[in-house]
Amino acid sequence: MSEGNSKGGFSLFDAEERILDGAKRLLDRMKDGDPQLLSEVGILADAYSRSVREQRRLVKVSDRLQNQMTQLNQELVRRRAEAEEALEQLRQAQETLVQTEKLASLGALVGGVAHEINTPVGIALSCASHLDDSTKAIRALFEADDIGVDDFERYMDTAADTAKLIVANCERAADLIRSFKQVAVDRTSSERRTFRLADTIAETVTSLRPNLRQAGHQVAINCPTDLVLDGYPGVISQVLTNFVMNSLTHGYETGRRGHLRVQVEAGADDLVRLRYSDDGQGISEEHRNRIFDPFFTTRRGSGGSGLGLHIVFNLVTGPLGGTVVLENQDAPGASFLLEFPRIAP
Amino acid sequence: MDNLLIAATERSPEVTFDSAAGTLRIKGESYPEDASQVFGPIFNVLQDYLGQADGKGLKVDFELIYFNSSSAKALMNMFQMLENAADVDIEVNWQFMADDETMKEFGEDFSEDLEHVTFNLVPVS
Ligand SMILES: Nc1ncnc2c1ncn2[C@@H]1O[C@H](COP(=O)(O)OP(=O)(O)OP(=O)(O)O)[C@@H](O)[C@H]1O
Ligand SMILES: [Mg+2]
Repeated sequence: MSEGNSKGGFSLFDAEERILDGAKRLLDRMKDGDPQLLSEVGILADAYSRSVREQRRLVKVSDRLQNQMTQLNQELVRRRAEAEEALEQLRQAQETLVQTEKLASLGALVGGVAHEINTPVGIALSCASHLDDSTKAIRALFEADDIGVDDFERYMDTAADTAKLIVANCERAADLIRSFKQVAVDRTSSERRTFRLADTIAETVTSLRPNLRQAGHQVAINCPTDLVLDGYPGVISQVLTNFVMNSLTHGYETGRRGHLRVQVEAGADDLVRLRYSDDGQGISEEHRNRIFDPFFTTRRGSGGSGLGLHIVFNLVTGPLGGTVVLENQDAPGASFLLEFPRIAP
Repeated sequence: MDNLLIAATERSPEVTFDSAAGTLRIKGESYPEDASQVFGPIFNVLQDYLGQADGKGLKVDFELIYFNSSSAKALMNMFQMLENAADVDIEVNWQFMADDETMKEFGEDFSEDLEHVTFNLVPVS
């Protein structure tokens, strides 16, 4: 039993081996002496030899355990690195996805803009060319001195009708262009400052008071008065306005009085939670995941362009750096939850 | 007399022995397959040096972060060897991270049987 002796030139248990050798020699020298003494020293030598063997065994076992532990540790480090890399890839993939999604929604927007603008401009154009034709015809009659009262009256009616249509459709186009511009708001277009959220909400609701009063709706505001934000009051005001206008246009049949509600909580981690809800008709299951899409409207033809909630979505996820969701709720009506940092990014 | 300069590996410490200056430094981790391979060369140069020190002293710096059981046994043998060289003035500095209680206890344990060797516990952070 002298492992290590050959390779490194020394044995870990060199000293112990020498003592064992010494013990053997001692026993040899004592072999003719007192047998009682001999046997007792023999027992001691045996015990020591066993103890050294035990030590060797323990060192070996413990080395092996430490080895395994080291390997496990290395494995752990490797796995962790792998996991972190995978996470990073995932993050990148997600970013790409978000970018693609943005591009796609931009594409949809541009397509929608073209389509939406086309209708009023097309109508205005055909009205204008109709007016042009009629004017040429009446001028021909006039120059030939062949114009009758009937002809002139008919022309006047045509001119009045087409002019009205042209004005209406140009106004519609101008309105559309205005809201498209809003879709593209960026954070620079709206002034950043610190403001008391309760004030901004109250001011916004006041500015909508005429519309609200006419319909007979009530608005309940519940917002901590000491909640001060650093961000874009104009953006919040715009978002609230769009919500309220939607409640007015989509929420209630004429004559029904609604209860609109704005509730604000300052949550943990400096997160503001703003809930806007009404108790109107609500949004049907099939429409729920489309309402934030640009041009999704259930009121096409009667003034809806389907941009209101898309603008809300862009404002909340953009300048406010937060999220907006349509909540599932048992109560009737529609309820939107906004969450955004108290200090805008 | 031979100097010794062994670079660290993943499982063995860096060893620097300067016989002219009379310094030995063992630094890093030690859990080799075969402890005698790592400590054998150190034992050899030490044996030579201590045998012909001729009034010169020896300073040994241990800067170990981790070692396994057979390395511990080898270290014990090494301290025995130092202690036995009664005619050489020997100073040992046992460095350990201030928050590594175990490493400190190992040092205390090793120093127990030393009478002739000056043994310093050196906490670092
Ligand atoms: N409070 C609400 N109650 C019921 N339905 C709503 C409510 N808010 C939004 N909706 C539904 O979501 C659709 C999309 O709303 P959004 O504001 O984007 O467009 P819009 O109001 O139809 O048009 P725009 O706001 O551009 O004039 C609406 O057409 C309507 O069907
Ligand atoms: Mg709307």
